[in-house]
Amino acid sequence: MYFLKNKFNFLILVIFLSSCSTMNVTQEQVSSGKVKTVKATSSAASESFINYDSRAVFANATIYFEFDKSNLTSKSIQILKSAVNALDENDSISITLSGHADERGTREYNLALGQRRAETVSDYLVLNGINKSRITVKSYGEEKPAVLGQDESSYAKNRRVEIN
Amino acid sequence: MKKILILLIFSNILLSELVLEITQGTEDPYKVAVIPFNGDTSISNTINQIVTNNLKRTGEFKVFNNKKLLSQPQEEVEIIFNDFRILDIDYLILGSISNSDKFNTSVEYQVYDIKKGSKIRTSTVFGIPNKDRQLAHYISDGIYEEITGIKGIASTKILYVTENKNFNLVIADADGKNEQVLLESPEPIISPAWSPDSKKVAYVSFETGIAKVFIQDIATGEREVVIENKFQISAPSWSPDGKFLSITMYQDGNAEIYILNLKNKNLTRLTNHYGIDTESTWSPKGSKIMFTSGRSGAPQLYEINLRRFNARPKRLTFEGNYNAKGSYLPNNQGIIFVHRENTKFQIALKYFDENFVRPLTESQMDESPSISPNGNVIVYAIKDNGMGLLSGVTLSGAKFRLPAKEGAVREPVWSGFLR
Repeated sequence: MYFLKNKFNFLILVIFLSSCSTMNVTQEQVSSGKVKTVKATSSAASESFINYDSRAVFANATIYFEFDKSNLTSKSIQILKSAVNALDENDSISITLSGHADERGTREYNLALGQRRAETVSDYLVLNGINKSRITVKSYGEEKPAVLGQDESSYAKNRRVEIN
Repeated sequence: MKKILILLIFSNILLSELVLEITQGTEDPYKVAVIPFNGDTSISNTINQIVTNNLKRTGEFKVFNNKKLLSQPQEEVEIIFNDFRILDIDYLILGSISNSDKFNTSVEYQVYDIKKGSKIRTSTVFGIPNKDRQLAHYISDGIYEEITGIKGIASTKILYVTENKNFNLVIADADGKNEQVLLESPEPIISPAWSPDSKKVAYVSFETGIAKVFIQDIATGEREVVIENKFQISAPSWSPDGKFLSITMYQDGNAEIYILNLKNKNLTRLTNHYGIDTESTWSPKGSKIMFTSGRSGAPQLYEINLRRFNARPKRLTFEGNYNAKGSYLPNNQGIIFVHRENTKFQIALKYFDENFVRPLTESQMDESPSISPNGNVIVYAIKDNGMGLLSGVTLSGAKFRLPAKEGAVREPVWSGFLR
């Protein structure tokens, strides 16, 4: 009973305070905002050694694309024909196709676009008799430009698929 | 060589303080006077400067130059309201700092309504050691809330990626200061995202050689790959309840959106189209997912209603041939996104009840818009002379730049409320 009465008094006090004044009273403690720094190591670097043989075969094999496009040009097809021949002659090697985009547009869309370009090249190779198990397809989007620069000629060099 | 030298000098200038280039704020800003708080002069000056900048950056405040005031009261009894009425000042802020010991600071501040001639708020903010900046941010938010009735964002954080020698995932205060590195990697990091409680982050790291989504605990640094398989996975976005993560997975070579149940790791496929589908994001209540799709031949924004069985994607944007990376306004009344106008990539806003796009920025290469949790400010990345910087624009039209960092800065994302 005593408790109840006490609570009731308190309630009255609150109502009294809130009715006679519109002033806000607050009290707060700032948060600590603890942050831990992590260092990632790259397991990507070692990977390039695996395909060392193929690197020699396709030293200059880069396929270029139009803005926001992933279709092959006739010049690209010429390069890919010689790639097919090289793969036919060295059937022990497997290759990685890395797709890239220029910096215009959003990063994730460009990642998907780079992938599409690499898939297009992969499809061409498979269609011409190369076993799909020999091909690894991946994309770096706009994250690893071949050339830095904000002009069309730089952009054109970055919209590519590298074969190695 | 000359070019390099000029670049160096230029970047040194850029590394200075926050640049406030308020091009146009609200037409009728709140006029406030913030008197330097009583107590330790150096803390007082720091707090005064931060609070002033925070209020100005909202675009809704005009902070009166203290030298032009007729009187500078230190406490309530000294206030002569008419001195402020004459100058057409709406609100007056007073405060006092007390140091209980060498490191712990406590600040009490009051907000006075000049027209009414009365005190409308009295607040105490106290900190753990060396948190004067945080104290100032909390005070700014208290003032902002009291006057506008809207929650402030000065005490929120921004997450972004920097690149100089390495790639870094960085967290900083909403004013760009107090940077702390979450992750340092020799390989690219993209698409950072906050968990709804702002205690974790998700991002895409290329450290394994392909794109993979990681989740990392901010305080402990614990991190994990969300799905262990051989496929590329990217574009993470948390559901508002924190239980699901929508992602883009390249399982069949093409970018498709899936929803991952974070508890049991079940995957549900959301899209199935030969066009690119990526950049998924959840509506504020979690009932819809918006994404970028190339299914029309060029990137456009679509949305799927998750409450409907087998719902078909509904196209949201029809203006121009590039609309991507959308996010919902916190009040669910519209979306912001990257929009291409001729050759320019701009940040744009589209309200659901309007059938036109409102461009908010006008540089050449604006990207990655992220809206503050109170829905008032958008932070985004710009390119200035090929260098990545962060900029902000308020929905009231005020623009500002965040202080430059070393190297390129990009993909800013706003946290939720932290206080």
